[in-house]
Amino acid sequence: MTEPGDRDGEHTDEPRLAREFASLEAMHELAAAHALDALDADERAAFEAAAAASPELRAAADSHAESAAVLAALAEPVEPPPALKQRLMAQLDGLPQQQPVAQRVEPATSAEPVASATPAASAEPAAPAQPASSAAPIERPPGRAQAHARRRWFERPGALLGAAAAAILLIAGAVLGVAWSGPNGWGAQREMAAIAEAPDAQSQTHEVAGGGEITLVTSAEQGRSGVVVAGLPELEADQTYELWYIDDSGAASAGTFDVSGEETWRVLEGSFTPGVAVGVTVEPAGGSPQPTTEPIVVIPT
Amino acid sequence: MIRVLQLARGDAADLSARDARSDMLGLVVDGSGAGAPAPAPTPDELLARVGAGDRQAFAALYDATAPRVFGLVRRLVVDPAQAEEVTQDVYLEIWQTAPRFDPARGSALAWMFTLAHRRAVDRIRAAQAARDRDLRIGARDLDVPVDTVAEEVEVRVEHERVHEALADLSKLQRECVALAYYDGLTQREIAERLEVPLGTVKTRLRDGMIRLRSALGVTT
Repeated sequence: MTEPGDRDGEHTDEPRLAREFASLEAMHELAAAHALDALDADERAAFEAAAAASPELRAAADSHAESAAVLAALAEPVEPPPALKQRLMAQLDGLPQQQPVAQRVEPATSAEPVASATPAASAEPAAPAQPASSAAPIERPPGRAQAHARRRWFERPGALLGAAAAAILLIAGAVLGVAWSGPNGWGAQREMAAIAEAPDAQSQTHEVAGGGEITLVTSAEQGRSGVVVAGLPELEADQTYELWYIDDSGAASAGTFDVSGEETWRVLEGSFTPGVAVGVTVEPAGGSPQPTTEPIVVIPT
Repeated sequence: MIRVLQLARGDAADLSARDARSDMLGLVVDGSGAGAPAPAPTPDELLARVGAGDRQAFAALYDATAPRVFGLVRRLVVDPAQAEEVTQDVYLEIWQTAPRFDPARGSALAWMFTLAHRRAVDRIRAAQAARDRDLRIGARDLDVPVDTVAEEVEVRVEHERVHEALADLSKLQRECVALAYYDGLTQREIAERLEVPLGTVKTRLRDGMIRLRSALGVTT
């Protein structure tokens, strides 16, 4: 099991991790153990980060997972208590489903309602080969700057998944036995990992005014983004950090977070669209509908 | 699904207006009870419907898979209350992430078992001291999982297939695979337990899984 101290050590030791990711060969050696869940949290995170950047490794992982799952057939079936099903069904109401991932090969024939809350899937076909201008109908036609930003985004070298995204996976892998719900619960962990694992995942790290740094990880394909912040000062009890998606039409709140330990992370609320900027402000506790202070950091995408 | 469609059309002509709605047809066929028993929707079909927010499909998927998922979790997480919690979390995660399930990457059942196995392993690593696990493992026959498992009628065919596939592994490979999968040990823990070098365990796991894969004819 990973000690918290070890984890911090890993986090600051990113070049070593990066070298490990580069060693795809070594990762192929781990594919079988990964499928059996025989890797410890750090190894698992490293493997998954590598798999995120390598379709070949992902295919190996999938095929091993398929045969590992067959081993489940040898576990004796046990009828769960009837109350479990009732509890489950009762909980579905409070549990929104994730948005489907855009299918790269699927032609845009499905009559996706424009008003649907899943713009990213239809508005951002993930194939880099597809020019931004040919995107399916989207809610808000991109302005010139946005189109430019998107082009820049598409022109960036792929598979930039670096140590920062790996750090997210480390966190996701190391935080065990936590509740399902909540901003850092299993559900959020799963979502954070999904963003970092997305084939088109991008990450960038910026200094924050007042100290600390923030890493933004985005996936246009998933229409989601997440941040990892480290070293930000703790705020007064009546204040909170608030995240914003900022575009030509203004700022939309993407949730709040507080810093009590060294490091925290959040999946941003709402949909991510390339070209949007992500900002952080300090707001009164509970958050504000609109920013009331100057941002301590703004990250263009 | 094709068979389901044909059955539904033959049994009830008034369904023709809905024949594009395969999700509804599945339900209708379930309730028709006419002639030969209709094939139950497969987990893959159910999971696809769960991904579209279909609660009835979720309930049906649960009914079809819960004993096997719970059985797997119980095998790893011995404490019944904790196993129940883990199983609950697994199904909530299935509900939440079903829209992202990609059938091109594998079967629905494999996806669900993978999820359940990982959550169960996470739980025992978080909750149980290594010493507890050693005690538990000591009480169990590890070498041949094949011999320790009850023959359930509905999974017998699957059992035979897995038994045959496992027979292709060497005893040492099988032991390592079993310690990892059925006892949730990391490769490092396996090395410590068997008192062999870590590299040896890695090799056995890798070669064992490659043999298992080819014996099962898994393709993805």
